[in-house]
Amino acid sequence: MAKLLDKQRYKCALAAMQTVQAIDRALPILHSGPGCAQKLSDTNGSSGYFSPNIFPCTSINEKDVVFGGVKKLNSTIDNALKVIDADLYVVLTGCIPEIVGDDSGEVVSRFEDADKPVIYAPTAGFKGNNYKGHEQVVDAIVEQYLKKSDKKQKGLINIWADVPYQDLFWLGNLRALEKLVAELGLTPNTIFGYNRGIENINKIPEAEFNLLVSPWVGLSNVKKMERKFGTPYLHYPTLPIGATETSKFLREVGKFAGVDEAKVEAVIKEHEDYYYYLIGRYADLFLENRVINKQFTVVADAQYSLGITKFLVNDLGLIPAKQFVVDDTPKNYRDQITEEFKKLNFGIEAEVSFETDGYKIHSEIKEHDYHGYPLVLGGYYEKEVTESLKGNFLNISWPVQDKVVFDRSYVGYEGGIRLIEDIYTVAVSRFN
Amino acid sequence: MAYYIAIGSSDGINTDLKFGEVEKFLIYKVEGTDYELYEKREVADADGCAAKCGDKNGCSGSGHGCGGGEEVAAKVTAIEDCRAVVCKKIGFQAQKQFEKRAISVFDIETTITDALDKIAGYYNKIDNNRSLRT
Repeated sequence: MAKLLDKQRYKCALAAMQTVQAIDRALPILHSGPGCAQKLSDTNGSSGYFSPNIFPCTSINEKDVVFGGVKKLNSTIDNALKVIDADLYVVLTGCIPEIVGDDSGEVVSRFEDADKPVIYAPTAGFKGNNYKGHEQVVDAIVEQYLKKSDKKQKGLINIWADVPYQDLFWLGNLRALEKLVAELGLTPNTIFGYNRGIENINKIPEAEFNLLVSPWVGLSNVKKMERKFGTPYLHYPTLPIGATETSKFLREVGKFAGVDEAKVEAVIKEHEDYYYYLIGRYADLFLENRVINKQFTVVADAQYSLGITKFLVNDLGLIPAKQFVVDDTPKNYRDQITEEFKKLNFGIEAEVSFETDGYKIHSEIKEHDYHGYPLVLGGYYEKEVTESLKGNFLNISWPVQDKVVFDRSYVGYEGGIRLIEDIYTVAVSRFN
Repeated sequence: MAYYIAIGSSDGINTDLKFGEVEKFLIYKVEGTDYELYEKREVADADGCAAKCGDKNGCSGSGHGCGGGEEVAAKVTAIEDCRAVVCKKIGFQAQKQFEKRAISVFDIETTITDALDKIAGYYNKIDNNRSLRT
């Protein structure tokens, strides 16, 4: 039987238009009904040179359902190429044209000889959510645009992380990852955000290896690149937040890239010294046991749920209650991610539930004994339930309603400090 | 249940008339995926507009608001018992008028059989709650 999904945490695959938008000067062309782009956009930094309100769209209607919409798609692509100055055009299909059987791939192939690259990603909603849609877009770039390169650039590393815009901190996080990798003497290459774009996309096949920092999103992409370009990949499942994980991250990347161990350790030492200087200055705050909650729950996609859980246990010494992964993680990745939740310091293991139904998540939060007030890091949906339990709440995952984030990041040593600041700002304000 | 589809055609083979050009709509009766010509329905004179245009047409300032010109309104009313209308082209005013009456508009130039096969097939699927998936 069909069931209702309460408090959905993701969007349909067509929201991969945000992945395209995150690529500088790349334009999504939507083969969908009117209003899709409007509904799928958030006001979270999505205006600019291109914005969802001006994405070319076939705006298909009943007529196109009955008679097919390929003609309209052809003219929409044709005219987009004429009037919109972009570097890469990515056709995305919504559910309607895929249900009625429009051969969008064939239409796009007519533009092979166009001056600018036009590629196509099937992103019908019934094929999955925007995490999968994101993978489809990267797939389309790898499959249809990029070619194998004989030239390999020593030390060039492609970095892949979670989904732009779905993750409010995407820009800052990517930049922080770049910075960390660069400190090891490597050259990071990312395709999202300011001043990256098509030039960086062109460099993808030349990289020495792909670095994927995500529990599962993008794994199929780096595997594909391994097959097509012969580029090996390093899969680092945990978003490095705070000193413990970031040092581990640097050691692993350094080892994989063959960076001199002494150099890696020197980078780590410099960061850790400052990190623990800051921690030390606030030790009285951390040791004041009435300030922070005894147990915490994270309700987020796999990336933050895992990353933050590790950070709060390993760096702050908090005890995990049940953690929730709400991105509808494909079943074949779940065991591996569950294992990651067991790899915590001090022999602690966190229980994790892959659950998309907000009602069930809230019921479990309400029933759990947090030995005091809970600390909940989650989507805005968790605000009310946390308040009803007099707990501390921080909005870190989609939907984010109570903060504006330009390029802040929770990644790395600095990111860990930022997250501590945010959590303790909430915690100490209850005493004011 | 049977329903009607209005078609603008000059030769009884193609949907080759613009909405404004139609003097006689071919009304087809559709049952499931079967259809037959039911009648030829005369509508307002297509040339009549020339004399009346100017002060009575839609948004041109005569106070008729967006109700469309009288010609359009009369023509729409004449086929308002139909479920859909098929013409080579149908103007914005007329489309809005049809929309208000929940009549589907298909502005497409094709053969009548092609149009009716596809439209009847489509309605047959949605009326029986069947997927449109091909």
